[in-house]
Amino acid sequence: MTRPARAFQGVDEGRLELDAVVGVLADRYTVEAGRPRTVRRRRLDTFDRRLRAAGLTLEHHSEPRARRVVLDGADGPSTDAVTGDLRWPAGAEVLRAGRVRDAVAPVAGIRALLVVSDERHSWRQLDLRDADGKTVVRVELDEPLAVVGGAGRVTVRALRGYDEHARRVDRLLTGLGLRPVEAGLAGLAGMPDGDDLADDVPAPVAADAPATALLAAALSGFLAVMRANLPGVLADIDTEFLHDFRVALRRTRSTLRWGREVLPAEFRSEWEPAFAGLGALTTPVRDLDVYLLGLPAMSGWLVAADATDLDSFGRHLTQRRAIARQEMVDGLRSARFRRLLAGWEGALVTLGGRATGTATGTERSTSAGVLGGRVLARASRKVVRDGAAIGAGSPADDLHRLRGRCKELRYALEVFAPVVDPPPSRRVVADLRGLQDVLGRFQDADVQRRALREFAEEMLTSGVPAAALLAMGELIAHLDAEQGKARREFDQAFTRFVRPSGRAPLHRPGGDT
Amino acid sequence: MRIFATYNIKGGVGKTSTAVNLAYLAAREGQRTLLWDLDPQAAATYLFRVRPKVKGGAHGLVTGRRPAESVLKATDFENLDLLPADFSYRNLDLDLDDAKKRTRRLGQLLTGFTADYDVVFLDCPPSISLLSENVLHAADTLLVPLIPAALSLRTFDQLKTFVAESAKPRPEVLAFFSMADRRKRLHREVIEAFDGAAGVATTVIPALSIIEQMAERRAPVPAFAPLSRAALSYEALWAEVRPS
Repeated sequence: MTRPARAFQGVDEGRLELDAVVGVLADRYTVEAGRPRTVRRRRLDTFDRRLRAAGLTLEHHSEPRARRVVLDGADGPSTDAVTGDLRWPAGAEVLRAGRVRDAVAPVAGIRALLVVSDERHSWRQLDLRDADGKTVVRVELDEPLAVVGGAGRVTVRALRGYDEHARRVDRLLTGLGLRPVEAGLAGLAGMPDGDDLADDVPAPVAADAPATALLAAALSGFLAVMRANLPGVLADIDTEFLHDFRVALRRTRSTLRWGREVLPAEFRSEWEPAFAGLGALTTPVRDLDVYLLGLPAMSGWLVAADATDLDSFGRHLTQRRAIARQEMVDGLRSARFRRLLAGWEGALVTLGGRATGTATGTERSTSAGVLGGRVLARASRKVVRDGAAIGAGSPADDLHRLRGRCKELRYALEVFAPVVDPPPSRRVVADLRGLQDVLGRFQDADVQRRALREFAEEMLTSGVPAAALLAMGELIAHLDAEQGKARREFDQAFTRFVRPSGRAPLHRPGGDT
Repeated sequence: MRIFATYNIKGGVGKTSTAVNLAYLAAREGQRTLLWDLDPQAAATYLFRVRPKVKGGAHGLVTGRRPAESVLKATDFENLDLLPADFSYRNLDLDLDDAKKRTRRLGQLLTGFTADYDVVFLDCPPSISLLSENVLHAADTLLVPLIPAALSLRTFDQLKTFVAESAKPRPEVLAFFSMADRRKRLHREVIEAFDGAAGVATTVIPALSIIEQMAERRAPVPAFAPLSRAALSYEALWAEVRPS
């Protein structure tokens, strides 16, 4: 195992003195200095920084005559030449087949790679050779060009089988007054990390703070997520931008409903309908995204038909999505939507200010903890009541309604669990998740089955091959079986959720049971 | 992991040049590549400026007392590592003879590299020996350089018989003409006679002084003369044999 690369920088983070570095190394090695190169280094990551979380750094290096992607991680650096013109954002599949793509693609998943920082660096490589002329250590000098007096770095890269030379070079550089950069990978040298747009975490609110303070903080957090994802939704960078936008939207709508008793009246009369309209505007594209993302898995369900029989179905979905997306984008670019965002932001600022005034004692109000206890008890009771009413002959719509209740409880837990005492146990959350999973599979299968029939009707009028319709018939049969399976699992999942040991914390004294 | 062995019973036919240049080309395109110099003459080791010394020698490697990964050396080229030769490799047959499953020990050692390398090249010494049997079992493809002359072809026939009579699994055998001099009538006639023959690559590696300069420059041809005819010939050969 080769020692990982190690980076050094000057004590004052000033510019590197190349002559001094070369001078000290030349005492022990023959130093072959490559020509200085200006390298454009674009750091790539997904919007939610999946690569960083996995300990990977991916950069696209461009020089006049060479372009490459460089991946750094625990297994050491990997480099792959770039052929053709890579334009970002793009999915990992645009990378050439090989080690870099093999490492990046599973981590990035369906998220596109974005440029999170873009800098020009002056870069120079020194090959340190032993008496046989063999390169035994590589040293890289790296300085950002745009930053006046920016922190240059020296990176020592050990070569397999020659670790002792890398350790010696470490000592020589330390003797020169350079200090090792301990935090992060050497590949991060000199590169800013980009804006963490996906990391908006609202500050915690105390249980005895006014409930409006908690609601203002939660709603502001959801608004920040919607704002952060909006450019990705408009640019159609990847499907997760819309997904995350809609999750924040659903959380907003749920929180507005649970907060009705303490929120100003206009939140119900004005903002609840406004966000319902936004939900309706974005639903068709998301539904079509789900079908398109699920197509590869659906192909695997086919028994008699061939996967290619679904090609015309895929094209139909793509066309439908293009139309739905245009409508959605028109809505999201409209003056009405801009007014909604600006007005909502203003309303939340006012709500936050009012909460602060309340906190100073100017107004008596419900505390966050009290509201949280009531909301969780009420939400839990609705799940139990609706779930208990479901019997063998219950229509699918009853299970759909129960799924909605579960989602409401889940969102309520996310907002209010931190302010109730004792907090709901992990078992409650796990049991709820299990119940949601079963209900989700039931409803998804039901909705998809109906949608497939609707799509088939539409495609029939456009002269689609019979093979496509037969393949879709197979999918419907598979979904029917899946729905039946989920229905059979429901009773057990619900029983697990309503067991007293799990649900007790949601019915604490003071809760609205 | 795909294992290639450059092998011929005859010496001086271009085995080492082929192994070094193809390994370099594989590494250059981003494949993690290992070259194992099995020849005690250590020519490939010399070309990469690595000292022909393996701690524990052949005995340590074959017995497992010295893990093979501990003696690997990076070359000067990214993605390309070398398992160097050692003079003790002259006794490899004796060490293999003492090992359990004596004809499969080399393959067992290579299995340990599966996670670390995409491509392995074995640069073999010229002989028919126990080491050769090990190579036949370990390699996916036997790359056989042939000088276009009658005696070389007779040797190739012997080699094919040797492979056909060896125990399964057997490697794919792919010959190619090496050190070809188209000014010589015999070379031209032999190459033409084998044009399109099964098991013979279409690429011909010409006899060029720049290939001999590898020993002087101590580097693969495509590294120091990337636009030379020799470099382009090795690129064409790699394109023919590389894993798809």
